[in-house]
Amino acid sequence: MNVFLQQVVNGLSIGSIYALMSVGYSLVYSIMNFSNFAHGGVIMIGAYLGYFCLTQLGVPFILAIIMTAIGAGLLAVSIEKIVYSPLRKRNAPSLYFLISAMGASIFLENMVIASPIGPTFRSYPAIFSTTPIMIGNTALSRIDLLMFIISLISLILLIFIIEKTKVGLSIRATAFSIKGSKLMGVNVDKVIFIIFLLGGLLAGIAGMLFGMKYTVYPQMGEITTKSFIAAVFGGLGSLPGAVIGSILLGLIETMSSAYISSQYRDLIAFTLLIFILIVKPTGLMGKSTEDKA
Amino acid sequence: MNKKLLLIISVLMVFTMIFTACQKADTKTPSEEDTIKIGWIGGLTGDFAPWGTCESNAANLIAEQTNANGGILGKKVEIISYDTRGDATESVNAVKRLITQDKVIAILGPNTSGPAMSIASVLNEHKVPDIATVATNPKVTVQDDGTVNPYNFRICFIDPYQGAVAAGYAVDRLGYTKGAVLYDVSSDASEAFSQYFQETFIEKGGEIVAVEGFKGGDVDFRPQLSKIKEANPEVILFPYNYKDVALSANQARELGITATLMGGDGWPSEVLMEMAGDAVEGSFIVNHLDIADPIVKEFTDQYVEKYNIKPEINAYLVHDAFKLLEAAIIDANSFDTVKITESLTKVSVEGLTGTIKLSEEDHNPIGKQAAIQEIVNKEYVFKERYSPY
Repeated sequence: MNVFLQQVVNGLSIGSIYALMSVGYSLVYSIMNFSNFAHGGVIMIGAYLGYFCLTQLGVPFILAIIMTAIGAGLLAVSIEKIVYSPLRKRNAPSLYFLISAMGASIFLENMVIASPIGPTFRSYPAIFSTTPIMIGNTALSRIDLLMFIISLISLILLIFIIEKTKVGLSIRATAFSIKGSKLMGVNVDKVIFIIFLLGGLLAGIAGMLFGMKYTVYPQMGEITTKSFIAAVFGGLGSLPGAVIGSILLGLIETMSSAYISSQYRDLIAFTLLIFILIVKPTGLMGKSTEDKA
Repeated sequence: MNKKLLLIISVLMVFTMIFTACQKADTKTPSEEDTIKIGWIGGLTGDFAPWGTCESNAANLIAEQTNANGGILGKKVEIISYDTRGDATESVNAVKRLITQDKVIAILGPNTSGPAMSIASVLNEHKVPDIATVATNPKVTVQDDGTVNPYNFRICFIDPYQGAVAAGYAVDRLGYTKGAVLYDVSSDASEAFSQYFQETFIEKGGEIVAVEGFKGGDVDFRPQLSKIKEANPEVILFPYNYKDVALSANQARELGITATLMGGDGWPSEVLMEMAGDAVEGSFIVNHLDIADPIVKEFTDQYVEKYNIKPEINAYLVHDAFKLLEAAIIDANSFDTVKITESLTKVSVEGLTGTIKLSEEDHNPIGKQAAIQEIVNKEYVFKERYSPY
């Protein structure tokens, strides 16, 4: 029973990292109808920003996380302006956006490798004690708790913005129909700017937390493949879907390595996901899809 | 255009012929009488340059020392080094040149497995022995079907051997009886290391209580570690490189696992101490040798004095390869390449990386001791030289 509880904690903790990352994918997808693979690159840059804020500038943790979020947000917005905006003006198909996004992601990764930062692994200074909080025999890591709380706050704020504010209303309208909302006087350019800013802010936070928990290296953006899969599983374009999909993926992965075989974990977890998608192709909470990439 | 190209090629060919002819003429100088030539191949440029340069330097240093002591069987030794850029084709060409043009009696290197495997047919054709330095793939000396490459030898231990050493040390010296393994399922070396660890651990009377895997690139090992914790082992093997070691060690300690950790030559790194210094405290690692070992230090000092840079681990393996070859030549009492080859598996030398005796069956060192290091106060502290057999 104790081991089961420990594995649930492990699963939730892995799932909450996926959640923070997958929301960024869903946000962009809901408006632009393409999978923004540059998101992984932004997360990676976010991890480096946080690392340098803490080690080089020596700012306190809270300030560092705010600076990192803003930095990553600006990066995401500039990627939109430089890479996607010209495509949007030409009404390019979704596939072009997708490929440009992959290009941007590869560019960011190699930029870091080529820069003086280089390909070495870096580790965050120990801000929080690594001794876990023990509840019975179940170890709860402090960073996990912190991550869980920060993820929760960020996601609640995000959902509040989208559901309760005027900006959120225009985002929802644009997600429903770009043409229709344009006719109703919604500034679509502004909406896109805002979703990339929001996605970037979350990417910065996710990157920094990920870096603190594990380590920082140029290829870390690749881990977002899993969070992307979680977003698809939950239903691309749906924020609650992304969160639920992520948590479930974390739990499925953990449980299959705990109770079946850790050697075949990915095989089991992803076979299960494929089955779910066969039964429900739009994902758990997805809207019906047309031509999307 | 084509005619021009043809002209250039023929001119080049003529030059090559003249050049090679001259080379051959050159080698027939009177000094040939009292000099023997030993070849070295490896990467002096490209990715492998730091290691190759170090090996080539070390070979020259040892040759100098040997010559100062009267040479081998009264003859001076000359090292001829060729750059292979770590490339298999270049290695074959270099070996051909060493044998047919320079008339070497034996070849040292290369330091990577791919090139070491590619040169086998040339060696067999000319019957000249080669002692590889840091080529750890078992296939360098033994082919898939079990036949031994007759002229390929190696001085380092192979990947699976580290596993046997780690298991033997854990049971015999540390007295552990319950072991566990976490390994990278996507890496051949990690899998071989873990498999031999398990076999030896059981042979020595221990019990393997948990075997868990992960995929290279994973960052979270807690599901696996939670299972390992439940099995309550006394020692856990982490047979992979420092990044994954750092992450898994930290997570193991977070979960409250207090078992001793063990690993191999993928561990040593400054980054490991920075990332997980506290978590790996008290761990044991299996390494080729320890530079703090007194007999190793003497050679290190000589190397630093001559080249003004710290030697890589390769320098010591070249040293041992050279000493083994020297012993074989003396044993054969001849410079005939076939006789030297026969003697290579007969002699035994005290090297810097342990006592070296090559097996007749697989041309790998038998029961070569490995250096066991313990991590104490974030330093690698030499414990002892150890062999499980």
